[in-house]
Amino acid sequence: MNSLKEKIERCRQFFSELAPQVKDAQGVEELRQQFFSRKKGHLTLLFEEFKTLSPEEKKAYGRELNELKAEIQNRLTELEQKFQEKASERLIDDLTLPGRKLYWGAAHPITLFQREIERIFISMGFSVEEGPEIETDYYNFEALNFPPHHPARDSWDTLYINDKLLLRTHTSPVQIRVMEKKKPPIRIIIPGKVFRRETPDPTHLPMFYQVEGLVVDRGITFAHLKGTLEYFIKALFGEKIRLRFRPSFFPFTEPSAEVDIECIVCGGQDPACRVCGGSGWKEILGAGMVDPQVFKNVSIDPEIYSGWAFGLGIDRTAMFAFQIPEIRQFYENDLRFLRQFNRR
Amino acid sequence: MKISYEWLKEYVNLSLSPQEVAECLNRIGLMVENISSFEDDTVFEIETYANRPDTLGHLGVARELATLLGLNLKIKKWPLKESPQTTAEIVDISILDPQLCPRYCGLVVRGVKVGPSPEWLRKRIEAVGLRSINNVVDVSNYVCFSLGQPIHTFDLSRLKGNKIKIRRARKGETLRTLEGSTVELSPEMLVIADESTPVALAGIIGGEESGITESTRDVFIESANFDPVSIRLTAKRLGLSTDASYRFERGADPEAAPVAAVMAASLLCEFGGRVSKGLLDVYPAPRKPRSVTLRLKRINELLGVEIDPEFVTRTLSSLGLKLKEQSPGVWVAEIPSFRVDLEREADLIEEVARFYGYDLIPSVVTPAFSFELPVNRTRDRIWRLKEILFHHGFDEVINFSFADPEKETLWQTGFQPIKLQNPISSRLSILRTSLLPGLVENAVWNFNREAEGVHIFEVGNIYYWEDEDLHRESLYLGILSTGLRSGRSWNEPEKETDFFVLKGAVEDILHYLGYLPFSFEQVEHPFFEPGQALQVRVKNEPVGHLGLLNRNLVRQHDLEHPAYAAEINLEELFKNQPRSFKFEPIPRFPGTSRDLSFLVDEHITYQQIHQQLEKLNLPLLERFLIYDRFKGKSLPPGKVSFSVRFYFRHEARTIQAEEVDRIMQEIISQLKSSLNIQLR
Ligand SMILES: [Zn+2]
Repeated sequence: MNSLKEKIERCRQFFSELAPQVKDAQGVEELRQQFFSRKKGHLTLLFEEFKTLSPEEKKAYGRELNELKAEIQNRLTELEQKFQEKASERLIDDLTLPGRKLYWGAAHPITLFQREIERIFISMGFSVEEGPEIETDYYNFEALNFPPHHPARDSWDTLYINDKLLLRTHTSPVQIRVMEKKKPPIRIIIPGKVFRRETPDPTHLPMFYQVEGLVVDRGITFAHLKGTLEYFIKALFGEKIRLRFRPSFFPFTEPSAEVDIECIVCGGQDPACRVCGGSGWKEILGAGMVDPQVFKNVSIDPEIYSGWAFGLGIDRTAMFAFQIPEIRQFYENDLRFLRQFNRR
Repeated sequence: MKISYEWLKEYVNLSLSPQEVAECLNRIGLMVENISSFEDDTVFEIETYANRPDTLGHLGVARELATLLGLNLKIKKWPLKESPQTTAEIVDISILDPQLCPRYCGLVVRGVKVGPSPEWLRKRIEAVGLRSINNVVDVSNYVCFSLGQPIHTFDLSRLKGNKIKIRRARKGETLRTLEGSTVELSPEMLVIADESTPVALAGIIGGEESGITESTRDVFIESANFDPVSIRLTAKRLGLSTDASYRFERGADPEAAPVAAVMAASLLCEFGGRVSKGLLDVYPAPRKPRSVTLRLKRINELLGVEIDPEFVTRTLSSLGLKLKEQSPGVWVAEIPSFRVDLEREADLIEEVARFYGYDLIPSVVTPAFSFELPVNRTRDRIWRLKEILFHHGFDEVINFSFADPEKETLWQTGFQPIKLQNPISSRLSILRTSLLPGLVENAVWNFNREAEGVHIFEVGNIYYWEDEDLHRESLYLGILSTGLRSGRSWNEPEKETDFFVLKGAVEDILHYLGYLPFSFEQVEHPFFEPGQALQVRVKNEPVGHLGLLNRNLVRQHDLEHPAYAAEINLEELFKNQPRSFKFEPIPRFPGTSRDLSFLVDEHITYQQIHQQLEKLNLPLLERFLIYDRFKGKSLPPGKVSFSVRFYFRHEARTIQAEEVDRIMQEIISQLKSSLNIQLR
């Protein structure tokens, strides 16, 4: 009775002939049925026959038969995996389903706008300086040529910590700190948080961001102030934007100027424009030639050096650029607001 | 400040339309913020400057226009109908504090019929937004808004002893003002007093008692000059701001005092008045005019344009300066007393520039003769850090630096907060000592507005007293993650965030910025749930914390979701030198990997296993990583299963299986002896 041993060998051969011909997952299933189907599977039949053997014979063939079963099962699993992978590579039911996305966090619009401004000035050889937010009266006012008890201070309504310390009302104290340490040439911009004692309303807040610029060198003129700021504003708002310089007053610059740009909302066409009030112009920054007294306060000789400075409110400029109706939206941190700037 | 078009015409022959006048004013920096019409007049709302009190009257504005347009300023004459009695016979004026009152002029007008103003006067007064009260009061306002010199009128019969004393108030004195309120006076305040009591708060407001009424017949006109700082301090202290104080605190012109007195008296003559003979003018120390040297060369150097010297002299003369040419292109300019702002050469250059026109100055990009290397590394690091957080899906927020002391106390930040002396509200009355309360508030705001998850960070200062006199502001990073993380795709479900989302972000920041080695240590911290906080260490120095926020704490802010947060002291972190980048060659020989699964007592942490493996110092072990950890019924009680994959490589040849087996044995025995692991 060596017929079972032969049958086992034939079955193995038969399987190894059939397996390479399988072309897809369905073929694997058919092959599986051919060997394992309950009633007429080749292996099933062999096991049926095995049951009829004597204990001695069972001992002789049991191991071989089980080995064959394991072999075939393994091979079928391999084939199955192979065709499954291939199917997922090739056969996509619906190509119109959306793709896998990664959420990229949104930078705060103030950060974005500040970086844009910084980039423009860095490209002109400026470096970025920073300074403390808690300041002394000297750096915030006196060194900038605000006499004590002068009404000029009224426009810089101040939050005080004590008689000596206050929250800086502008980033200008950093100008003084830099000029105390460094001798000209100086070309810096100073971005940062500033504070005013303002009750919150749609256009005022007790905290906002400013950027200031300062250039000190020999032979610096008002014409340089104009040229550089014009370049900056065009870089920020586009080549075509119109702007005007008009005289103003700041204690720390002489002569002083304010710069208006044409209203990008109405182009001066809407007499009831919410942004420009119908004037067609929007005030965007203050500037001027550094006051000689400020130079004296930091031991720079105003007969040898001259310089210009400017200051711009980042929030207000961003409000204008993006047409954001209320300044407080910057600090509510509503994700529906913030996440829009993801696309900038 | 309101300026009437018709009123300007009293001083200059304008042929321009109101619109054209407004454009002219803008050109020279008298910014017209609004134009409106009043009856048959046009009114300009002009922005005023703290250093230009001369423009606080129509005369000053007209002078600017006349200069710009090359017109002459009309100087009006103010004839008086005099009575034989001299002023000195009627009143006795004495300045007891000449420091605070440099000049005081007085005139008496007897027999004035107090009544409604004539039409022309009413129009003027109402055009500038004032209420017409009676002819006497309206005259004093008319003078003030013409010359910028405030005057005050008293009912002479109410001045006891016919005495005017300009003195400091005495302790305990009070004054009932024209506005009807009673103010407490103190010795740093200057008052006008009669024989016995104060009758006016000098330069700010008159007293009710001595004011003009229907029954007034005889009027005493005061036209004086007061110290700006004293007026400002008193007005601020009493919370009073009047047209008079507004002008005096900016520095009125002492030379305008007598002119204004005469102008007022002349106008009162039209209402039946007769003026006392001889202006009483007490001016103990007359001010000498200032002189400033001006160089044409300097004008051109500062403005960057060649300006015609004839333009300079014409403009400045028209503004009232007296110029003497010292040498070609160098002038000595005598400054008129009404221009308190002109003190230095730069001030005169500004005047030249203003009238020359900023638009005619060329635009030249500032040349650079040398460049410095940009050195602001901190800013670069902050931006890199933000980018890592964006990549992890965190949005950036910016919160106020102010905090609510009540809520801040709950957090026990351990810092002594800095209080504001004059906060906007009690809820914004201290400076924040942590970024996390703000981030929690942001989460609540967004959950209340349809957000299902909030994953945010902020970079900003916290502020505190280091000791009594030493304040500190310190740059921190705060990160918060709570609620659902948005699914990456339609076939991946949204998942609740967890601690490891946050920790991964922190680890990536430290890793990619090169702050190595870093480690974490389990600690207790008031921000976090017991046993749910780690201290972050770089080179073994603490730089921050992270963990599951204490539930009771966040509930105080009405946040119900579990929230994970980290706070890193960036100033401390940035003190470390980041590990410098070093390029390494790509491996030339293949490596191999082995997995190891083992059981260990459940109190053993991954970090302990990690440390034991680091200790081994095996040159052929390239790296290892944990890929599974679980506890459960299938394991013996008190045990936890870890699976770690090890990667091996030899730099100079293909690694041998026997070598790897040997190293694995070494690893196993190390873990067995130190942590008592059992292989699975
Ligand atoms: Zn507009």
